[in-house]
Amino acid sequence: MKRVPYLAPPAFALAALVLSALIGAGAPAFAQTMLFKDRVEQCAACHGADGNSTIENIPSLAGQPEFFVMNQLVLMREGVRPVEQMLPFVKDLTDPEIMALAAYFGMRTPRLEGTKPDPALAQRGQALSERLRCGSCHNQDFSGDQQMPRIAKQRIDYMAAAMRDYRDNKRKGADTAMSAVVFGLSDADIDALAHYAASK
Amino acid sequence: MQARYLTSTALAAAVYAIGATLAIAQAPPGMSNIDKSDPKASKQDTNLRPHPTPPLATPAEKLPVDKIKLPAGFKAEVWSSGHPGARTMARGDKGTIFMGTRVIGRVYAITEKDGKREVKVLLQGLTQPNGLAFKDGSLYVFAINRVLRYDKIEESLDKAPEPVELTATYNLPPEIHHNWKYVDFGPDGKMYVQVGANCNICEINPGVHGQIRRYNADGTGMEIVARGVRNTVGFHWHPQTKELWFTDNGRDWAGNAGPEDELNRLPKGQEGANFGFPYCHANGVADPDVKRPNPCAGVVMPAATLGPHAAGLGIKFYTGKMFPANYQNVAFVARRGSWNREQKFGYDVVIARPQGNGKARIEPFLTGLLDNQKNEFYGRPTYVLEMPDGALLVSDEQNGAVYRISYAPQRSAAR
Ligand code: HEC
Ligand code: HEC
Repeated sequence: MKRVPYLAPPAFALAALVLSALIGAGAPAFAQTMLFKDRVEQCAACHGADGNSTIENIPSLAGQPEFFVMNQLVLMREGVRPVEQMLPFVKDLTDPEIMALAAYFGMRTPRLEGTKPDPALAQRGQALSERLRCGSCHNQDFSGDQQMPRIAKQRIDYMAAAMRDYRDNKRKGADTAMSAVVFGLSDADIDALAHYAASK
Repeated sequence: MQARYLTSTALAAAVYAIGATLAIAQAPPGMSNIDKSDPKASKQDTNLRPHPTPPLATPAEKLPVDKIKLPAGFKAEVWSSGHPGARTMARGDKGTIFMGTRVIGRVYAITEKDGKREVKVLLQGLTQPNGLAFKDGSLYVFAINRVLRYDKIEESLDKAPEPVELTATYNLPPEIHHNWKYVDFGPDGKMYVQVGANCNICEINPGVHGQIRRYNADGTGMEIVARGVRNTVGFHWHPQTKELWFTDNGRDWAGNAGPEDELNRLPKGQEGANFGFPYCHANGVADPDVKRPNPCAGVVMPAATLGPHAAGLGIKFYTGKMFPANYQNVAFVARRGSWNREQKFGYDVVIARPQGNGKARIEPFLTGLLDNQKNEFYGRPTYVLEMPDGALLVSDEQNGAVYRISYAPQRSAAR
């Protein structure tokens, strides 16, 4: 499990405490909107019981860096990244709940779901990836780091759609880093990259 | 109209008004906006990556204010905290400090009451509202590709009024990268607006990207005042010469040593001048990936370089009464700090002291937020603002806080 480095130790300890206290017994240590395990079940309905999504165009969360999940949930709650299906679930999440969810999904083991990578496409994706330096940000093994998501073993359909959204200025509230990376890529390039990332 | 792509200063100046009206988002034939940096040629650590900006603020008691070092007689204290993503600052007539952010998408209003600061989230859910300017009671907010004006804003800080939408009139290019805005009203009453290069290094269309423009406040009457500017995220006018000075961030992935960021001066009467991007960087460094003959011909050289990957952002000339006389008309420049460099650099505020010949000398001012031994940073100064009492506010994006820098003469016995 990767620590969120900017978090002061007490805040981090709090998140861990919330996690251990709430997953099992469910006794709330402080004001919160619902029991943690019920929260996780809400998310699991779409993102998979173990954080690996079996639904088209819904991303897996298993093995995501804690910072990434925390960051995206805060941005969704803010309305900066409006995800329509998630609005009812994020609007009243508290900061400690967000940190606990990030830690919970970060600890699950990622597994590729959905379309299997096509070796020829993946090979083309690898060449593109080297030119565009995907590994410099997402880690060379694509496991993700901090604000950069894990893309290894992520669903191909979701990743291809996400990259098209970055390219076409449709992913609201995103870090501008990805808009620069995918600028000028064709749909075929994007598919190749998604197949390569999923295969890692 | 091909003349637009020539970079001779005189020619550019002569045609800038015409060129400006013919904005095309695509690169001209034979040019490409696709990033040209060559991973095989770069000798840098391939794992360099941008640092994360926390969307939650650092608790007040954990702020790194004790680490800050200043020249003798100066003092740093926490002025406000608890506002994640703290970046640009603009002061309203009634004393409200408006604060812009990037990814968190908020605009804050910070007011003073009984010596304490009150932070309100004034606007929320915008796409990187980094550009703020205040004039005649109105707050101008520039998000990426959206321009909004909030009239009589200081009378309704609890609930922002419906904005006047100026997006269509300003008609800014839609590209997202390097397009979070910096804006300010110049001494001529015009709105100056940044339009960055939408890549790390590529052949931009100089009629569209890599510029500083100015407009009438309502978004009409656009003129290009500077071109070949990769990405300026801060500018100000010299209090005496009224010339525009601006920071410009150098390209990445061409080595740890640079090319260095620039502090530029737009000489009077040279509106439309070319500052070199993408062919010529810093003090006349030819680009290794985007080449052409005589890359620096006709390019205005910087007043000073700001260091490799330093990320020079906010700049303000000082005219206050609090600091010693030798700080009059010097510029404070916040350097947010490097990411594309193995040994970190910046994370400080420097002074740019104009030398009278159009050049400036860079001297350290606020340091201590970078530990060179550990290669770690504790905060990222992004913007500076002079207060009516002459104190200097410095925003720290990493920690979601503002520090106040004040000066009190030391008694000689204390030396
Ligand atoms: C009704 C279905 C649904 C539910 C329930 C749901 N999500 Fe999502 N979630 C989505 C979809 C769809 C997306 C992708 C949106 C997009 O395409 O940008 C998403 C995206 C995300 C992301 C961003 C991941 C990425 O890779 O970009 C995170 C983090 C996330 N959800 C966390 C949660 C958590 C935590 C919960 C429970 C509190 C939850 N979601 C509940 C549908 C759902
Ligand atoms: C400069 C750093 C950087 C580089 C280089 C980079 N990325 Fe990203 N990537 C990010 C960041 C940051 C995000 C999260 C952006 C956001 O806020 O939506 C991201 C998001 C993504 C996503 C969305 C995943 C999700 O779960 O939502 C995909 C897919 C992706 N990147 C693929 C790639 C590929 C493929 C490459 C190489 C072609 C690449 N990235 C290069 C920084 C980078």
